[in-house]
Amino acid sequence: MTREVFIANVEREQEALRSFLLALCCGNKGDADDLAQDALVKAYLSSAGYQDKGRFRSWLFKIAHNTFLNHKASLRTTESIDEARLLVSNATSDSAFEYQSLYLALRTLPPKERSAITLFYLNGYNIKEIAAITDASEDAVKKQLSRGRDKLQEQLKMHQG
Amino acid sequence: MDMTKDKALEELFLAQKPQFTDNADFMASLTKRLDAVEFIKQHQEASIRRYKMAMVAAFIVGIISGALAIALVLSSPAEPLFTFSIQSAFLLWVAENSRLIVATAIALLMTVGTVSIIGNVQDIQRMRRQLKMDMTCC
Repeated sequence: MTREVFIANVEREQEALRSFLLALCCGNKGDADDLAQDALVKAYLSSAGYQDKGRFRSWLFKIAHNTFLNHKASLRTTESIDEARLLVSNATSDSAFEYQSLYLALRTLPPKERSAITLFYLNGYNIKEIAAITDASEDAVKKQLSRGRDKLQEQLKMHQG
Repeated sequence: MDMTKDKALEELFLAQKPQFTDNADFMASLTKRLDAVEFIKQHQEASIRRYKMAMVAAFIVGIISGALAIALVLSSPAEPLFTFSIQSAFLLWVAENSRLIVATAIALLMTVGTVSIIGNVQDIQRMRRQLKMDMTCC
């Protein structure tokens, strides 16, 4: 894939990718855009091996998902402090996002459940496609979706209550 | 396991789909990053090429100089060209076994050289693998 073709494809898919990462980053736009840029650079570097089967978006999402998991793994030590800080600050400072309760609820999910839920509800992928993107079995995806949905519903009820 | 979509949850997700107003800035930033990546990639490839050329040159020079040294040793006269008037047992032993000593030294040098070349070839292969991994790491 030439650079021009890659950029043209990215221009078409960037909003979907950024929305996906924004949900994974629970509304943190700075982090989401940084991860999107990192993921796109990785995609560009491996674009020579990409075989065009009309699945550019899924391929990008797979790279973005792995980039997100790596980012989460690298932040593991400081995460609890940051999460606590965000939970305190988000209710007031990040008022640009209308759906704070969803992001706050998403934050309580483990990264893999968060990815599965986001891909299923936000991006409309089916279980088979999610399994391919996240490199998991279909059974594992089903479990993640089921657990994630229950936790989300519980959290959303708590926030509404 | 019930895998039907929770309608309320789906609506909430779809309603929170953000509108991005900075698409052009995002693409401009990405283009800059890709330029930087291209520059680094080209620089790395050029470095590997230069390193490879240097290794080939060192190998050829090593082979030629080794061959010349062995030829020189083998063509040198068996009789000593000059003698020291020192009656030292050690020096006498060196004089008697000089051919053997020089041949051993050259063999050692060539061994060290070969090991070093193998090490450098492995370095090049490692750098290549690393470059490939960086490219496909996702």
